[in-house]
Amino acid sequence: MMHIRSKLSALALVAALPLPAQALNLFACEPEWASLAGVLAPEAKISSATHVYQDPHYIEARPSLIARLRRADLAVCSGAALEAGWLPALQQRAANPDVQPGQQGMLYVAQWVETIDKMESVSFGVGHVHPEGNPHLHLDPERMRQAGAVLSQRLAQLDPERRDAYKVDYLRWSMQWEQKLADWKKRAEPLRGRKLVVQHTTFDYLWRWLGMDVVADLEPKPGVPPTPGHLATLVKQVEQERPLAIVHSWYQDPQSANWLSERTGVPVLSLPSTTAPDEGVVTPADLFEHLLQQLLELERAG
Amino acid sequence: MFSHKARWLIPLTFIAGSQAHAELQAPDISLTVDAYHKSDNTALGGRVEDLGLSHTELALRQQFGSLAMGKLTAVAESNKEETDFSIEEAYLQTLALPAGLTLRGGRFLSDIGYLNGQHPHADSFTERPLMYRAFLGGHYYDDGVGLSVVMPTDLYWRVSAEAFDGEELGEFESDSTIGTWALSTTLGGDISDSQSWQAGVSYLRNRMLGHAEEEHDDHDHHDHHDEHEDDHHGHSHGAEYAGEHLYMADLVWKWAPRGNNRDQQLTLSAEYMRVTDLNEYASSDDYHEGWYGSAVYRFAPEWSLGVRQGRVKLKLGHGDHFHDGELEETTAMLAWNPTHTQTLRLQYTHQDAVQDWDDTFAGADNAVTLQYIISFGAHDAHSF
Repeated sequence: MMHIRSKLSALALVAALPLPAQALNLFACEPEWASLAGVLAPEAKISSATHVYQDPHYIEARPSLIARLRRADLAVCSGAALEAGWLPALQQRAANPDVQPGQQGMLYVAQWVETIDKMESVSFGVGHVHPEGNPHLHLDPERMRQAGAVLSQRLAQLDPERRDAYKVDYLRWSMQWEQKLADWKKRAEPLRGRKLVVQHTTFDYLWRWLGMDVVADLEPKPGVPPTPGHLATLVKQVEQERPLAIVHSWYQDPQSANWLSERTGVPVLSLPSTTAPDEGVVTPADLFEHLLQQLLELERAG
Repeated sequence: MFSHKARWLIPLTFIAGSQAHAELQAPDISLTVDAYHKSDNTALGGRVEDLGLSHTELALRQQFGSLAMGKLTAVAESNKEETDFSIEEAYLQTLALPAGLTLRGGRFLSDIGYLNGQHPHADSFTERPLMYRAFLGGHYYDDGVGLSVVMPTDLYWRVSAEAFDGEELGEFESDSTIGTWALSTTLGGDISDSQSWQAGVSYLRNRMLGHAEEEHDDHDHHDHHDEHEDDHHGHSHGAEYAGEHLYMADLVWKWAPRGNNRDQQLTLSAEYMRVTDLNEYASSDDYHEGWYGSAVYRFAPEWSLGVRQGRVKLKLGHGDHFHDGELEETTAMLAWNPTHTQTLRLQYTHQDAVQDWDDTFAGADNAVTLQYIISFGAHDAHSF
């Protein structure tokens, strides 16, 4: 009976609409926001400007991206200057008033979710640092949930006809997320206090959440590629500290990590810094599951 | 409907000004210094030999809420022959027009061609290709208005129309309000994860020619020669070889492994220009043309290597007839970017006067240039 009634009401709803509402066109700067939108707005037409094998700091304002932003109803980006090298150029060329900074159709997640490592001032020569804080906030599962709430609200504002659907999808996702958080937290216990060598500050939010410590960075300054001189200074330190792994992201050249690994015996761990639908890491939950499994595997082996 | 339209007829400054009270952010200020040393002078403009500053610019960019943006770029050049200051950009651009429209007013770089709209310090070589130097004075900017539209298509498709007063194109005796106008269109897209492309055609109409030509009827060799000498060295803003119609075509193809252009990228680009109706004696066979092709390969995040080959075929006016002239330039460069705000570039330029007349290309030479670019403050996002 319930089943029939819900079908009937759905039919009535469809009949009441003069025209099928146009699906929302969503432009995500990074794959994690496209994946999050995929969960929270399954009917939307979603595309990501970048993928897991690209460094999101260095993207060209390609014609295809301009064309995509031109047709977007909503653009979702990390913000905190992560896209400073290319998004303003896209916004200026796409001639789409909806996605200009300050408009409802332009969502910078970092404006709504607190970032870490904010800087009062940036002195010249510190490399590519963001005074707005570390922009890779999607790698904290708590912040990912906050981002989900922000995105869901924005979707409802832009597309009020589907307001209820967005709310239902968000509540369902958020409850599942709560359970997953508890599960991840429990399973991640053995990682607490373990040390890591990293390449860039990409995963800082994750390390914080897991209670892991970064003892060295292959980059001499944030955003500056590793140099042989800098790597050489790390050998002794890494030998003493015995970290769990030397971590780099999929888009980075593994050469430097491999070099240090050969000299210190510390294993290299290559991790995706965002979702990768082609590799089976489709949803935000898939991403954290994958990251956790990779780390735990190494922990058990070591 | 009318009131909506009328809103956009109000001078842009007014809209920008009224919005400014609401949410005026601090302007982005940037300074780019381009210092160089060039071993020898070369033909058809470009940098002057010895130590110098070329295209050192101070730029201010101000966003007026989400309605409009303004930009001001002051440029200084200094070399052993002259020191020169100019305002290259001073424009307002809308950000809030519907239907993919953008309106610009003031002084700005024309949308024609591939390189023209880009800032010289983003170039892969120390000097613009021969044909840009010969037909556009390096790059063409002027005072005027421009309207462009980006179509709502899967493929990137932009169409631009511009009208300028023409003062900056060259030294012409003309007082027409619209000295030049231009039409251009660009298409572009991705071929795969690793490959993308862009292609365009442009047309520039020069309405300032044709009236002043009679003065040259006296067929005087020496006058003509001296006139050219003056233009040879030094910083020439204007086009040295003009015609009523300028046609351009450009094609760019880029490749980066999996689209990750940080570590590696190959850029191939080529452009062609044809200038027709040079003066009242020019037949349909008398036109200037030029082209170049360039390949730049970034093989590591900080290193790139490039070669460029370019040529101009000119009709050198001599009273009521023309002599053929042809100049070729081959360029090779190696660039190092120790940080994303610095570039150190070593370039070798070889010029060859394939066909000369009356020593027009007497300045053709080989040169080694060492260039250092450093920028401070917010800098423009990189365009394709």
